Amino acid sequence: MPAVIDAKKCNGCKLCDLYCPLDVIHMEGKLAVVRYPEECWHCGACRQECARGAISFTFPWAMLAA
Amino acid sequence: MRKRHNVEADVAIIGGGTAGLNSAMAAAEAGCSVLVVDKANIVRSGAIAGGIDHFFAYMDTGEPWDTREAYLGWAGRVARGAADLEVQEAVYCDELKAALERVERIGVSLRQPDGKVFRTAALGQPGPYAINFDGKLLKPKMAMEVKRRKCKVVNRVQVTKLYLHDGHFAGLTGFNIRNGDFYRIRAKAIVIATGNTNRMFNAQVGNPFNLWYCPANTGDLHRAAFDAGVALANMEYVRMTIVPKGFSAPGFNAFFGMGAQLVNSLGEPFVQNYHEMGNKAPRNWVVWGALQELKAGRGPIYMDCRHLKAKELEHLFFTLGIDKDTLPEFFRARGYAKDGAMIEMTVSEPMQARPSELCGSGIRIDKTCASNVPGIFAAGDASDQMGCLHMATAGGFAAGKHAAAYAKKRVSLLPLDSKAAEEEEDRVFRPLGRKAGISYREFETIVRAVCTDHFGPVKTEVSLKAALDKLGRLDAARGDLRADNMHELMRTHEAMNIHAVSKISATAALERRESRFIPYHYRADYPQTDDANYCGLVVIQEQPDGGITTRLDKLRYAA
Repeated sequence: MPAVIDAKKCNGCKLCDLYCPLDVIHMEGKLAVVRYPEECWHCGACRQECARGAISFTFPWAMLAA
Repeated sequence: MRKRHNVEADVAIIGGGTAGLNSAMAAAEAGCSVLVVDKANIVRSGAIAGGIDHFFAYMDTGEPWDTREAYLGWAGRVARGAADLEVQEAVYCDELKAALERVERIGVSLRQPDGKVFRTAALGQPGPYAINFDGKLLKPKMAMEVKRRKCKVVNRVQVTKLYLHDGHFAGLTGFNIRNGDFYRIRAKAIVIATGNTNRMFNAQVGNPFNLWYCPANTGDLHRAAFDAGVALANMEYVRMTIVPKGFSAPGFNAFFGMGAQLVNSLGEPFVQNYHEMGNKAPRNWVVWGALQELKAGRGPIYMDCRHLKAKELEHLFFTLGIDKDTLPEFFRARGYAKDGAMIEMTVSEPMQARPSELCGSGIRIDKTCASNVPGIFAAGDASDQMGCLHMATAGGFAAGKHAAAYAKKRVSLLPLDSKAAEEEEDRVFRPLGRKAGISYREFETIVRAVCTDHFGPVKTEVSLKAALDKLGRLDAARGDLRADNMHELMRTHEAMNIHAVSKISATAALERRESRFIPYHYRADYPQTDDANYCGLVVIQEQPDGGITTRLDKLRYAA
């Protein structure tokens, strides 16, 4: 998983959904969900927009071990 | 339920990245009604969505290298055969001072905290042209400025077709990537600023979205413009860079600033074996050297940081995070935040893009940023003459000014062919209705396999013809593409655009029977640069009868 959203911290403000340049994050009800993790560019725009600090990044094994 | 929208503006800007937003500012300043259309959201779309950290500029400080003439001399040396210096003077040099002032006026300082401008040299520059600055918020601030100037913005709309009337630009159509609303937009002029084409070649660890440049840039308007008869140039070049192993992220030059150097697995610095400027050579030569070392079995290659302490590396990683937000934690996760780290590097994925920082690859523009089709203008990476932040900022503004001047001379909007728009609406949504068929993922994987095998990057006449044969056979699969939702529909159109651009690129590459900017255009059957015959632009265009033609626009440079 690239961008990871902490559901406990997410307040449903939708900014990460609104600004993700790859259309990777979608609202599901009141929660933002990383629906297309394999299409994340790791640009960090979502994290910069998140006022709640709910977004972190976890690099897939292919990026860390190859 | 899908809605239909009819929108009108004096000037339509497609692509709200750096170039497009600067175009919008200029057209609004000229008094035009402006509409910006972006596939994402202009606050965070395009190449600098997550940040940017350098701006190339000469600043007339009195140093011999710090002048317009010296800059153009550099461009003529390192972008010979691709940079049209008359266009560069008009779109960059004439606009540079205002561009630097504009960046600072909208609230992004080009200075360090101590108030001084800090510049570094790389990529064959005769002096330190790269202003290092914190551009983390440049994109959102440009978006705010565009809104302050009352430009209308339509986010999340993918443009799929341009329409002409009596040979002049009349309008465009596109669809909202979330709700499927269909937009018919009429405008007097258009500025195309949609970047280059990515996801065309295999990426280093298999994921086509783990790329140096923005994976949302998929040649959408290269293809739509080409279909409308717009001439393209510099399309044969296949650009690459040096990136960390595992993560195609920019920033290798920053390591050189800290005294690091690229070494092979024998611990030997190698770039100087391929270019006299070594690590500070033009980018293509650094890539060429790395490719040769890897091919010869002297890989892996490393950024040798043995002289640096963990604290110094942490500082460097922080700086790199300005340009690529997640890069610092990637380096930490790979275990590089330690004394004397050897950071494994590799060659990035190839892409359809400019062969140098000093030109572009796409719509052939003249000194007024105009294409060959009246009313169609281009800026930034989508044009054949602009690249990088410095030219997107300066030249984007120039394009907006010229598009506005053209729009003001037009008395009224031209009609948009209703029947053609209806047919396009049907075509656009057709993949949604298919119950079975091929997915964009599978289709794109095939395109990437062909492009990588046959011109990624080394090519010959035989390999290019084989590529065109295979890519041509794939035409039949376009009618089988299936999308299960709107997100997939967007990706499906992107995949078709990548496919179309790959054919344009291979066709242009066939015509250049020489090598230039190796490995960006390396013809194994014509390995030498042939300035006598090929110092210029391969211009490719679809004619009204559907035939594809190419020509060479020769370029001249001072000795």
